[in-house]
Amino acid sequence: MEPVTQPTTVAVGSMIKPPKSQSPWALARRKFLKNKIAMISLVFLIMVTVLSILAEPLTVPVEETAKINLTQMSKEPSADHFFGTDKSGRDVFARTLHGGQTSLLLAFSITIAVITIGSIVGATAGFFGGWVDNALMRFTDFMMNFPFLLFVIVLKSIFLESSTATLIFVISVLSWTGTARLVRSKVMAEKENEYILSAISIGCSPFKTITKHLLPNVMSTIIVQATLTLAVMIVAETGLSFLGFGVPMNIPSWGNMLQEARSPDVLTSKWWIWIPPAAVLTGTILSINFIGEGFKDAFNPKSNR
Amino acid sequence: MLQYTIRRLIGMIPIIFLISVVVFSLAKLMPGDALSGKIDPLNSDPAYIEEMREKMGLNDPIHVQYIRWMSGVVKGDFGDSFVHKREVMELVGDRLPNTIILGVSALLITYCLAFLMGRFSGRYAYSIGDYLISGFNYLALAIPSFVAALVAIYIFSINLGWVPATGSIGSGVEPGTFEYFISKAKHTILPALVLGSLATASYTQFLRNDMIESSRKDYVRTARAKGTKESTIYNKHILRNSIIPIVTLLGFDIASIFGGAIITETIFTYPGIGYLFVESVNARDYSVMMAIAMMLTVLTLIGNLIADLLYGLVDPRIRLS
Repeated sequence: MEPVTQPTTVAVGSMIKPPKSQSPWALARRKFLKNKIAMISLVFLIMVTVLSILAEPLTVPVEETAKINLTQMSKEPSADHFFGTDKSGRDVFARTLHGGQTSLLLAFSITIAVITIGSIVGATAGFFGGWVDNALMRFTDFMMNFPFLLFVIVLKSIFLESSTATLIFVISVLSWTGTARLVRSKVMAEKENEYILSAISIGCSPFKTITKHLLPNVMSTIIVQATLTLAVMIVAETGLSFLGFGVPMNIPSWGNMLQEARSPDVLTSKWWIWIPPAAVLTGTILSINFIGEGFKDAFNPKSNR
Repeated sequence: MLQYTIRRLIGMIPIIFLISVVVFSLAKLMPGDALSGKIDPLNSDPAYIEEMREKMGLNDPIHVQYIRWMSGVVKGDFGDSFVHKREVMELVGDRLPNTIILGVSALLITYCLAFLMGRFSGRYAYSIGDYLISGFNYLALAIPSFVAALVAIYIFSINLGWVPATGSIGSGVEPGTFEYFISKAKHTILPALVLGSLATASYTQFLRNDMIESSRKDYVRTARAKGTKESTIYNKHILRNSIIPIVTLLGFDIASIFGGAIITETIFTYPGIGYLFVESVNARDYSVMMAIAMMLTVLTLIGNLIADLLYGLVDPRIRLS
């Protein structure tokens, strides 16, 4: 990001101080705060996250959501059960909150893993160039050839006892390539600047140059990429769980809840079982996308919205 | 161009070799016996199993097994399906037309919708219609395909009863007749609509931005100065220039047509490649699974090549080297 200098008009003999120029981060923050859609989305996302984190104090402990209750099967929404109960008599509201916890935690973990791997590979390749770059990018290109969903399913079925940890591992291993390419291209452009040359010439180690000088300057790109990755990962998790290859069935997640809608009976006449997770899921992804767009706009010095 | 294509194709051979090693190792890592299609599952006598293993070469060193599998693959023989008791290629050949029909209809829907929406948005940029279209695109981008599929089934199949929710053909319909065609179309339209309309966002945005950019170019000003009608400027001059870049996105879609339909095909129990893949993983039908994984990965490679070639065709300034 280029440093932004504000035009300073100094009137002759006046006492007006030139306005203090703002840092790029402050400028971006101000631009983001003014973006209404992005702010509404942020509030919505925080609300969903907080409700999910507070799932246990607000409703019932997670063990309760797995218990089958034959006396309460497929009850319509009422005062006792805000969203009704599902075919096994489990409270849909409690499961939506606990499911949010699972789905969001999973998506956040995968995003952190993906961004970390991608940034390390991309920054290393971009900074060193030459054969390091060649080898790393060949490997990235190779990993890109594998159709994502297909290989997640294949890898997932290798692990006999499926857990959320294996799911995080499997998805992360297959999806860091895009980030690596992006970070590499940004780092390559950024390292041509003089300040990097001067950092190297005063004796900064490559590690220090990358972490102290290069990465902070490509951070805006990484943040936008992380936001978009987060949305994609929520879709990936729920999609896989929906197919039965994701989170283990006994753990509530939005994908697992939606799986119930695969039975025609639920889809046809018990809308309260599948509409809540579907609506929250879509709303969450939509808001994350808007936040990502807002970041992109805020970090772009050329946009003046 | 030809030289470039040939060089790229030759460059693919080592990559395909590496991919085949990965696919084979993954299948070997999976629980149970990969390639165990021919052992009678009802006979659990250890001596019989040991004898069959020996006969099928499952006790051979792993590289020998790999070479045997690979030499079959090169000849187009992926072995036999364990569940379906048929040759894998026959099975895939049965399902492939369904996936192609679904993919091509979805792609047509995407292109038509994106063309109409992008044309409107590009011409009347920043109007209410433009904002509505971009709102639709945001929603289409956010809504996961299986949620959209569920809603579509709920509305069109269950409440309105227009189209069936599952399968690819009605029962007892003779192939080749007109009814067969109608039944096929009725079964395909809903999954195709779900797949197609969710993918419009990038195309629409692409066309819109390109049209807005083109409308500021010199040749448009010249046309305006000559007194050309506004509709002619847009439909003849701008649209023709803006529509070309969209074609390049086609290459990337080839792989996603075949691979991306896994979820949609499963929801609609539409008997295509994606559904076959999910079935075969669930049933531990390794030879089918390996065949599909192999084919789709190679298709991704070819799709990328086609995308690169289309770039060169559409924009002669890009030199392929």
